[in-house]
Amino acid sequence: MSPTNKKTDVLQGTLALMVLKTLDVLGPLHGYGLARRIEQISGDLLAVNQGTLYPVLLKLEQEGAIESEWGASDNNRRARFYSLTKTGRKALQSETQDWQQTAAIISRFFEIKSEDLP
Amino acid sequence: MSLARNIRRFFHRLFNSGSRTIDAHTDRESRLREEIADHVALQTADNIRAGLDPIEARRQAMLKFGGVESMKEDYRDERTFPWFEHLLHDIRFALRMLYKNPGFTVVAVVTLALGIGANAAIFSVVRGVLLRPLVNRDEARLLFVGQIAADSSDVTFSVPEIEDLSANLKTIQAIGTLSALDFTVTGLGEARTLTAGVVDGTYFDVIGLKPVLGRLIGPADDGPKAQGVAVLTYKFWTNTLHSDPSVIGKVIRLGSFEGARSATIIGVLQPSVPYPVETELIANIVTSPHHLSATMVTGRLHRMTDVFARLKPDSTLEAARAELTANYQAMRTAHPEDYKDSGLHFTVTRMHDQINSRANTVLWVLLAASGLLFLIACSNVANLFLARTVRREPELALRSALGATNAALRRSLLAEAIVLCGAGLLAGVVIAAPMVGVLSRYASRFSVRAADLTLDSSMLWIGVALAFIATIFLAFIPRLPNTDKSHAFAVSSSGTRVTLGSRRRLRIFAVTQIAACFLLLAGAGALLRTLFVLETAQPPYATARVLAINLPVMTDGRSPEQITTFYRDVRRRVASLPGVEKVSAAMIVPWRDSLALDLHMQFAIDGAPKEDGKEDPRARFRTISPDFFSTMGIPFLEGRDFNDNDRTGSERVVIISEALAKQLFPGQDPLNHKLHWTDPLLQFSHMSPEPRRIVGVVPEFDDTGLIPEPTMTIYQPSDQDGFSGRLFVRAQGDPYALMPVLTREIHNMSDNQPVERASTLDDVRAEVMAPDRLNAIVFGGFASLALLISIVGVAGVLAFSVSGRLHEFGIRLALGASPRNILSGVLSEGFVIALIGVTVGTAAGFALVRVIAKYTQELQIPGATPLVVSAAVILAAALIASAIPAIRAARVDAARALRSE
Repeated sequence: MSPTNKKTDVLQGTLALMVLKTLDVLGPLHGYGLARRIEQISGDLLAVNQGTLYPVLLKLEQEGAIESEWGASDNNRRARFYSLTKTGRKALQSETQDWQQTAAIISRFFEIKSEDLP
Repeated sequence: MSLARNIRRFFHRLFNSGSRTIDAHTDRESRLREEIADHVALQTADNIRAGLDPIEARRQAMLKFGGVESMKEDYRDERTFPWFEHLLHDIRFALRMLYKNPGFTVVAVVTLALGIGANAAIFSVVRGVLLRPLVNRDEARLLFVGQIAADSSDVTFSVPEIEDLSANLKTIQAIGTLSALDFTVTGLGEARTLTAGVVDGTYFDVIGLKPVLGRLIGPADDGPKAQGVAVLTYKFWTNTLHSDPSVIGKVIRLGSFEGARSATIIGVLQPSVPYPVETELIANIVTSPHHLSATMVTGRLHRMTDVFARLKPDSTLEAARAELTANYQAMRTAHPEDYKDSGLHFTVTRMHDQINSRANTVLWVLLAASGLLFLIACSNVANLFLARTVRREPELALRSALGATNAALRRSLLAEAIVLCGAGLLAGVVIAAPMVGVLSRYASRFSVRAADLTLDSSMLWIGVALAFIATIFLAFIPRLPNTDKSHAFAVSSSGTRVTLGSRRRLRIFAVTQIAACFLLLAGAGALLRTLFVLETAQPPYATARVLAINLPVMTDGRSPEQITTFYRDVRRRVASLPGVEKVSAAMIVPWRDSLALDLHMQFAIDGAPKEDGKEDPRARFRTISPDFFSTMGIPFLEGRDFNDNDRTGSERVVIISEALAKQLFPGQDPLNHKLHWTDPLLQFSHMSPEPRRIVGVVPEFDDTGLIPEPTMTIYQPSDQDGFSGRLFVRAQGDPYALMPVLTREIHNMSDNQPVERASTLDDVRAEVMAPDRLNAIVFGGFASLALLISIVGVAGVLAFSVSGRLHEFGIRLALGASPRNILSGVLSEGFVIALIGVTVGTAAGFALVRVIAKYTQELQIPGATPLVVSAAVILAAALIASAIPAIRAARVDAARALRSE
């Protein structure tokens, strides 16, 4: 139970970023489509708990980073399509930068060996 | 249940914004449901396409999606105010729990209501009387200038003093003066006596008040040549004249002790705090002949004027005080003979503080008392609450083991506290309203501002604040069960085990209560004792059948001889009325007038050697008509009464009191000795310093103190250098039944003569004692509330302690302990709690007295009797309170108590 918990905890933070990036790259998508894409890109990270995606979507919409409208899916089902807003794009840019910075710092830490330090 | 639903609906309505959130929330909830359905449908479709059978396809889809409900929960916790929603739920639960424990609920709510109500009421009185600003313009700049005598009574100023004081002031914009006096007013309905003041032209500007009708007195109305003008105060205008606007322009006659003058009514003053006396009419100086007389203008010791000053905008109170004090000191240096042993000291205060000066101490003490009551109430409810929580420990432990967090448990306690305090608040506000009425009546003794006290929302806010404090107190005082869940399960299976910490807390609360209660009880005891002493100290003469009537001296168009003749005729004609036994006249009504007119003057016995450096003795001065003592039912000890021949022009005679005879004529016969007045005030009166022969000695007749004390008194005939103005009638039957005939008889003689305030001496005494009675009622009421609450508290603690130890009692009984042992054990537990409480209370009381004594001298420390009596009352009450749980403990069935394990 607990390892999964940890995994989703990390995911919660990063999932929003993944949603924004996916929408940025692929354009408007419905929820299921988004889940599939993120699953594809991130490997099996989202494999177990696809449900966690939806609270994130609602929250992002609430914040104004994405918007939604009705549209038709591939097999002509009515579905809600999410797309990135201007605010979302900006948020994505700054988030990406932050993330890269953080990632760079963290990776540098992981590379450290004791003999590297004076 | 429906109550709970109603409350929830109420909350929804109350938090309008909250309800909007909840609507939006349901909207999003349905969206979420939709999305989930879509997602699962799409996934299922994909799975079918991948070759799974429909049922398995859907199962896989659901698996992949993860826990729908937990996802929703997570989402909700993030999106809404879950805490608030849970609290609503908890409150519903709390209502159910409290409904199931009506005894606890009622006691807690009533206790809180008393605590909250009393405090809210006193707070609003304190706010209304002490804190509310005056209506006067720029009230912070309005100052009161005064002198205080050695006996801390206020002393007014004389005209020469005012002139000296107001010379070359740089910090003061202007000075205004008011002399209080009574006018007999004719031309305004029935002739009547009005409490009035005469003012100079700057007075209204200095005091900063506006008219509601017409104009006020200004500089043009100053001086001896001005026309007489008068302004009515708002209360008099509305209450007595029914706000009649046509009163403006009316010409009235104002009679004072040196003749009457006409005045035109020019305006009505806005509602304001009258100070120093509750004036009904304010006139310019020309309306009082006395104010233009040489005595008034040149007599440095002839003091009858109050001084008000308005600070310049850029100066401070301290600067003004320094400047005025410098003037005052210069004046004293310039006239050393007039101030040599006066013991006066000079004060400059803000008007606001001056008006509050008497109310300050009393109201803050009252506030402290109600604070104590609140403390008692809160600790009592906390006690009950704590006891309940401890008894609920298994339940709480179980909930905690099932995954409830500490916050959730705390929240459920908070919910109960909210329900209790909310109900307490409602009940408290309901009882606070009438309490404000009683208290403002009480406070009106100290401050005129209490009279126009109104209820406002501030009281509600204070109540809310107190309820809030109480809620926090209640919700956070109880300890939560141990977080070690394995231990908690053990507890839950073995019934209540009282933790040591909780029991200690309970005891501390009980001791606090008892201590606070003891303080209140001791204070109330002291007041009750004062009242008791007053009630039992009966005057040595008959007061029930003697009627006292104000018959003010009408100087208008009458010579002094005519006035004397008038009173003589009144006495004669009233004496001939049926039902009248005796009639006499005098200058004051005992107790009622004596406080304001208690003249003590210096005198000397003729032929007695004058001791160097020793002041002449002082005696109380009274003028009376013949038959005064027989009207009062007082026998003569020696000599004779005055008679109609003792009048101006004949030999001067006096009657002295027993105290004077004993003190100045020890072992001699005082009759036919002579004495004369030597007091410096004599120069302002018509009395001559000629010797007067002692013709009679009477027993002590203290008309001032409610507890009679021997006082040297000299009585003069009212027809000889004296005056009357009060009529005393001894009736055969009901004194009040005489009034219509008597009034008609007097009006037949002079229809302008006011006949006022008829009242038997018994009633006068009761009226004068009313403040003491009210004092005792207010504080006694407080103390008995406190006692009641404390008893409930002690009983609660012991009941709780007993129920926690039933098992122990069972074992002890099984091992051969007698029920009596157990009974006395519980009783002594209660007794010890009370004893510690009383000890703590005594210590706190002495500490408090020491602190308060730093700020005020007028502190009366209750004597030993009230302390001992209150201690006894508390200890007895504690024993009674312990009796019920003790009996319960002693009746424990050993077998059952053991089996319950």
